[in-house]
Amino acid sequence: MIKWWKIASAIIILYSIIWGLINPVPHLDILNETIRNVYYHVPIWFAMLFQMGYSVVFAIKHLSKNDLRSDIISDQAAQTGLFFALPGLLTGCMWAKFTWGTWWTFQDPKLNGVAIAVLIYLAYFILRSSIPDEQKRARIAAVYNIFAFVMMFVFIMILPRLTDSLHPGNGGNPAFGKYDLDSNMRMVFYPAVIGWILLSLWILDVKKRIAILNHEKNEQ
Amino acid sequence: MQLLSQLIKKEFLLEFRQKSTLAGILVYIVATVFISALCFKKIIHPTVWNALFWIIFMFIAVNVSSKSFMQETKGKGLFNYLYYNPRQFILSKIIYNMLLMSVLSLLTFFFYSWFVGSMVQDMGMFLLALIFSSSAFSGVLSLMSAIASKANNNISLMAILSFPVLMPLLLVSVKLSKHAIDGLAWSVSYKYLLILIMLNFVVVALATLLFNYLWKE
Amino acid sequence: MKKMNNKIILFVISLLFPFLGKAQSVAAPQMADTFRSEGKIYVVITVISIIFICLIGYLIYIDMKLRKLENKN
Repeated sequence: MIKWWKIASAIIILYSIIWGLINPVPHLDILNETIRNVYYHVPIWFAMLFQMGYSVVFAIKHLSKNDLRSDIISDQAAQTGLFFALPGLLTGCMWAKFTWGTWWTFQDPKLNGVAIAVLIYLAYFILRSSIPDEQKRARIAAVYNIFAFVMMFVFIMILPRLTDSLHPGNGGNPAFGKYDLDSNMRMVFYPAVIGWILLSLWILDVKKRIAILNHEKNEQ
Repeated sequence: MQLLSQLIKKEFLLEFRQKSTLAGILVYIVATVFISALCFKKIIHPTVWNALFWIIFMFIAVNVSSKSFMQETKGKGLFNYLYYNPRQFILSKIIYNMLLMSVLSLLTFFFYSWFVGSMVQDMGMFLLALIFSSSAFSGVLSLMSAIASKANNNISLMAILSFPVLMPLLLVSVKLSKHAIDGLAWSVSYKYLLILIMLNFVVVALATLLFNYLWKE
Repeated sequence: MKKMNNKIILFVISLLFPFLGKAQSVAAPQMADTFRSEGKIYVVITVISIIFICLIGYLIYIDMKLRKLENKN
């Protein structure tokens, strides 16, 4: 039947939806009820980062073992990650409009970071589509993937820590820090992160099987 | 080590034999600076000065680095594969590009301050930023042009690949040079300089490691 | 997206009941307690859950179809 972790992901996310809306949360200025977004907006970004990391791991695997299956997984994981970036960006814009007063800003390094990340992976897909030969494409794409991931990681994780940021928990924003989540909120937040990562893995699993089937059909 | 210096010398010789590429870049620099001088007459705002300078720098960097790998034809490629160690090959290209880029960036800055006027208060910091940025840029762009050359030598592909990856680097460089222009104390800009140096190492290490895999084509 | 819309409706409506807040001090931030106390929160939860369950159902359907295709080879 369906694997246990797929069902678990659905149940966990459902739990985070139901309990996340009923659960009492700290009363904070500016944010009011929208603090509940933490249960939905943040796990999506975690899922995206996870998928990109998965993609890089399989790129490295491909370069060391030279099998096409790793490359297919790497490609599909990057696609899934990019797919998760879309709701992440949209929900972020909506949340920003109501708390910061604007849809987007260029001053916040995290926002710049994710914009760059989206551009990098779009360039990755353009690179993939410009090489017709399979083996060559896999190898070159893997090289670019590794390089791009390192740059992106530096940009998203390291730079925001050093400069001021509008995002809560980084720089000088007093609204709430990542580390003073109410213990009530933690009960929903951590399972939500796991649930969304598992859901992204489910979507990856389906995509990967479709890609492998296509690949096998083309080989015949 | 000896082979490395030989390779670098070979790059220099190639460049001086075909003076056209170097001359082309010089004309490009003078032309862009001249146009900006015409349009802006006198730049009052340091931010604008900074932005314009780095835009010109970025385009020059992409142009210079793309030429280094585009010259490798199929025949030369086979020769290179048989005779040279991949690590030394990419290192020689990176070092050559770094030197070239440093010189060209200093030239750009010279022409820029001549035509448009210099607003830099802390010259030492600015020059440091310039040199480290040019080496980091050339490192990234060398690898990108290597990738693009394997994918049918498409110049626009190289631009598409390079721009997003260069963004973090560009941001740090712009911030650092802005601090230098405003003449802020070294203690404030210190962390950016460290990041720039660290990025240099990361980029060169990655490029040398990854080039092995590109080599086999 | 629909989950976000509901949250925004929640937030906006919570601002429309200031007269109920007279008992609070001025410093306490407005929350959606009125909304919740009238039982309307359960409507929101049910709507979102239904949407989510439908999406999961579709995912399961695709998964089973793939399994059949793989077993056929």
